[in-house]
Amino acid sequence: METAVFYVLATIAVASAVLLVLFRNPVYSALSLVATLFAVAGLFVLLNAYFLAAVQIIVYAGAVMVLFLFVIMLLNLGHSEALESTVGRYRLTGVIFLCALLVAQLTAVGTRQLRGPVAENEALRTENVQTLGKLLYTDFLFPFEVASIILLVALIGVVVLVKRETPETT
Amino acid sequence: MDQWILTLLTFVPVIGAAVILCVPGEQKNTIRWLALLTTGICMVLAVWLFNAYDRANPAMQFVVQVPWIPSFNIEYHIGLDGLSVSMVLLTALITLLCIPASWSIEKGVKGYFALLLLLQTGMQGVFVSLDFFLFYVFWEIMLLPMYFLIGIWGGPRKEYAAIKFFLYTLAGSVLLLLAMLAMYFNTTDPATGENTFNMLVMMDQANHSEWLRAGTIFGRSAPLMLWMAMFIGFAIKVPLFPFHTWLPDAHVEAPTAISVILAGVLLKMGTYGILRFNYQMLPDASQYFSTLLAVIGVVNIVYGAFCALAQTDLKRLVAYSSISHMGYVILGMSAFTVHGINGAVFQMFNHGTITAMLFLLVGVIYDRAHHRYIVFPNDYHEPELRGQLGFGGLWTHMPIYGSLTMIAYFAALGLPGLSGFISEALCFLGAFPVHRTLTIIGTLGVLLGAGYMLWAFQRLFMGSFNERNKDLPEINSREIATIVPLAVVVIVLGIYPAPVLDLIAASLSDLSHTLSAHSGMAANAF
Amino acid sequence: MFEIDWNILLPSLVVAGLVLVVLCVDIIRPDNKGGVSGYLSLLGVGVAIWVSLSLWGRSPTHGLGGMLFLDNYALFFNLIILAGTGLTIFVSTGFLEREEGGRSEYYLLILAATLGMMLMAAGADLIVIFLGIELMSIALYILVGFFRRRTDSNEGSMKYLLLGAFATGFLLYGIALVYGSTGTTNLREIELAVAQGRVYTHPMLLGGVALLIVGFAFKVSAVPFHMWAPDVYQGAPTAITGFMSAGPKAAAFAAFFRVMVASLGDLSGDWSGAIWMLAALTMTVGNLGALSQRNIKRMLAYSSVAHAGYVLVALVAANERGIAGGVFYLLAYAFMNIGAFAVIVALGRKGDENLEISGYAGVGFRHPGIGLAMTLFMVSLAGLPPTAGFFGKFQIFSAAVEAGYIWLTVIGVLNSLVSVYFYLGVVVSMYMRQPVGQAHAVSMTPFARVALLTASLGTLYIGLAPTSLLQMARQTVSALL
Repeated sequence: METAVFYVLATIAVASAVLLVLFRNPVYSALSLVATLFAVAGLFVLLNAYFLAAVQIIVYAGAVMVLFLFVIMLLNLGHSEALESTVGRYRLTGVIFLCALLVAQLTAVGTRQLRGPVAENEALRTENVQTLGKLLYTDFLFPFEVASIILLVALIGVVVLVKRETPETT
Repeated sequence: MDQWILTLLTFVPVIGAAVILCVPGEQKNTIRWLALLTTGICMVLAVWLFNAYDRANPAMQFVVQVPWIPSFNIEYHIGLDGLSVSMVLLTALITLLCIPASWSIEKGVKGYFALLLLLQTGMQGVFVSLDFFLFYVFWEIMLLPMYFLIGIWGGPRKEYAAIKFFLYTLAGSVLLLLAMLAMYFNTTDPATGENTFNMLVMMDQANHSEWLRAGTIFGRSAPLMLWMAMFIGFAIKVPLFPFHTWLPDAHVEAPTAISVILAGVLLKMGTYGILRFNYQMLPDASQYFSTLLAVIGVVNIVYGAFCALAQTDLKRLVAYSSISHMGYVILGMSAFTVHGINGAVFQMFNHGTITAMLFLLVGVIYDRAHHRYIVFPNDYHEPELRGQLGFGGLWTHMPIYGSLTMIAYFAALGLPGLSGFISEALCFLGAFPVHRTLTIIGTLGVLLGAGYMLWAFQRLFMGSFNERNKDLPEINSREIATIVPLAVVVIVLGIYPAPVLDLIAASLSDLSHTLSAHSGMAANAF
Repeated sequence: MFEIDWNILLPSLVVAGLVLVVLCVDIIRPDNKGGVSGYLSLLGVGVAIWVSLSLWGRSPTHGLGGMLFLDNYALFFNLIILAGTGLTIFVSTGFLEREEGGRSEYYLLILAATLGMMLMAAGADLIVIFLGIELMSIALYILVGFFRRRTDSNEGSMKYLLLGAFATGFLLYGIALVYGSTGTTNLREIELAVAQGRVYTHPMLLGGVALLIVGFAFKVSAVPFHMWAPDVYQGAPTAITGFMSAGPKAAAFAAFFRVMVASLGDLSGDWSGAIWMLAALTMTVGNLGALSQRNIKRMLAYSSVAHAGYVLVALVAANERGIAGGVFYLLAYAFMNIGAFAVIVALGRKGDENLEISGYAGVGFRHPGIGLAMTLFMVSLAGLPPTAGFFGKFQIFSAAVEAGYIWLTVIGVLNSLVSVYFYLGVVVSMYMRQPVGQAHAVSMTPFARVALLTASLGTLYIGLAPTSLLQMARQTVSALL
């Protein structure tokens, strides 16, 4: 059962990643990215990494994707009327697809619950949030700090690239 | 002084170059005199060396050995034996004479003389190095000044000639580098038990590894392959057929003084290298290739002479005569006899002085007539002159120039009483017992040499005077001053060759005996 | 929890602190156009060099939860990286003034990239190495596109970003597979796992190694992963091109050597063949590519590809001489290459113009000092004595001969012969061609002069008296073997 679910999720992840590249319409691409991210979240669930799954969905599928879509809309890359008509046409497919995903995830969670938690590894326990946090602030403190510098530099970089150049002040 | 003489001789020119670089470029005469002063100091040092050198001692003298890059066992290791001392003297003499010969250079005087002095350092360094790495560094250092001197101050096709010279020689250096690494990793210094670049250690075969004695590389005998790599590296410099094509181009485009150095000293580095490296480090393989050497020597003699016969450009003629004359050196050394090797080294010295004269004389006429065609070629830019004699009857117009030219040409064709005769005779004498047929073919070169030299002389100086040349002034005192010392050397050594032969004899008979002691490698080894 | 050994962190901490100081300066003095930040950065780099030197020679340690090494190897690379950064800052001051692009962020980004490089050299864990690469890369992406108004700068930045991200993917996938097969990302534990055969499946580990090689090959611009280099080098601001060719390349090699030799050295039978191919291809394609270039920055881009090939030869040899030689070569390369770019900056004109090699005609006589320096750098890049480049190459090739890679040495030596042609092409143009048109005034700031002089003297010094630096390079080897 677990193997089967893994393969279903993996297929969805890879297939929608391929579609992401193949679609001409950026909106479709963005949506198939959502599908990929959801499938990957499912894989995390399979591994008992609930926290990561949640983060994956909240941060990537949620926040980041919304941002993506906003940008697409603002730049008017996807033609709105085409969007409406196609969404209408594939509405049913979409619903079925999402339901299938939901069922798959529920099944995965369900089987886990029925079997009970398997605690071979500390990180795999249900309370992996604590473990993760502890690791992040002890063993992996240094990489964590470096990551924060990377974010700082990226932030500055964005400022450099988009800041309006001030006229010469002499 | 014994400790410092060679170091001084090598590095005084660099100091001179540095001083010249500090002088403002407009003060051209100051720069020229500084260059003359520097080379003059070197000449004084060389004369001191000539007196102090112990002629009875065949071993290295004036040795200095200081660590340079210890982790590779690279040392600043210099010294002198009979083979190198003659070359060191020749270098000092030729460079000194090149300074007045360059007096008329007006473009970039500062750079010109600085590079010339740097070149001298490279040449002296090559001849005194006793560390393979040090030798290689000097060998390469010399390339760049030469490249610039041809490329910046050269004739119309200077760029092509310079890059051709550079790439040819560098291709040889690359082989040399590989051979150097192979030698390094297969020589153990008995004193330290580590690999070494010390050439004296490399010359003792007891220090060679098993691989270097009898191993294989790429399915062939290692010592023979290594010998070949070094040989080609040096042969390009000599230059030996078929690696000679850079030489005529370089000579034709180079300014006079640079041609003089190129023919007078640089070519000798190739034969010096063969004698120093191939012969002394791999004597067995040298024996094995003895016939090949003789064949190449004869081909050089005859091919060079035939090419010289066909030239219409005087400088090209001299360049090809150089190729022919270097063939005598190779033929002489190919037999490993005492006479042959002495003759080869003496010929190296004599060719240095004679060719220098020839090029200087070409330079004199070129400075005046702005061309140096014996016969104007068929693509000459003035159609009415095509096929006509460029000069003719100059003897009456420029008698001093004519006389000096006569001495030089006669020396070049090997007239008895002049130095070239003695060394050529020694080369043939040495080679004859071993390579009879080849030597006989080689003597053809003497005949052809007389042919092209006399023919050229006839068309330049004999016959009716060409009225177009009536404005050419006679050779001036500065030019006489550069040529006469060489003429004196040529005449004196032709009558009494002992000063040079005594200098080289002890070391070379040692070398010849070592070589003869090696019976050579089995014929199927390659 | 673990005790923090501050010594281990010290060099990176200095640079990280510097990043923050420069950031604050920009807030306090928003109108300084980068001048003050430049001086501050120089000062900080000097301090970091001093710190690195004072830590030299201690017994190797690691700390911060096994994340960072403090050994001579890391410190030596710190010196290379900081020297590159320092020289770049020297060159940049006048350059930014001329291009009117002076902004404080410029120095901040250079320093951030430097920090990333230092982490790559000192990283004891694949995660840290990866983060170092990212930190460096992000800063470089922005620096390449720093002149926003110029399309080629933008194009270069975009290309670099896309291909860089691609390379990152390979690297991460490689790290994941190595982690999957050994259960750790720590370099020392990977070494132990491989040595003791505690590997999940061997093919998986090898797959991971292969992907790591691809990722690193991108970063050092080895053929066939070099496609980004010419466009990025050409498009980037010239001072940044010089910066990129020295430090980041050295840092990528630092991590590459450490991972391959120290951690995966037991598998060298499996990877040395691949690196052999990479090295041969990189040298050959790089040099042949450079032959036909007319733009000097593009030519030097191909040349930097070729030089990566020479250093890969050292990795193939992977013996004591080889590693010392590779490390030494990267130091020599930093000096001669940044020197060459300093000359390009000096001869350039507003808008980063005058980059055609033919435009250098007559420079040798109009500006003798610059001509002489450029000749020195070209000669050194071509690997002729008595310069740094020659001795560096000599070491690498002698290591390859010692390890028995004769053919690779032959290929390398032939390549350096080919390379002479295009390096001398620059010299030919400077000295032997007739200049066309009006002479342009060349104004070098005192800082740029210092940079040029330092690079020239460094190139000569390393070539003539390499002993002390060679000794240092030898002392780094114990960290890996």
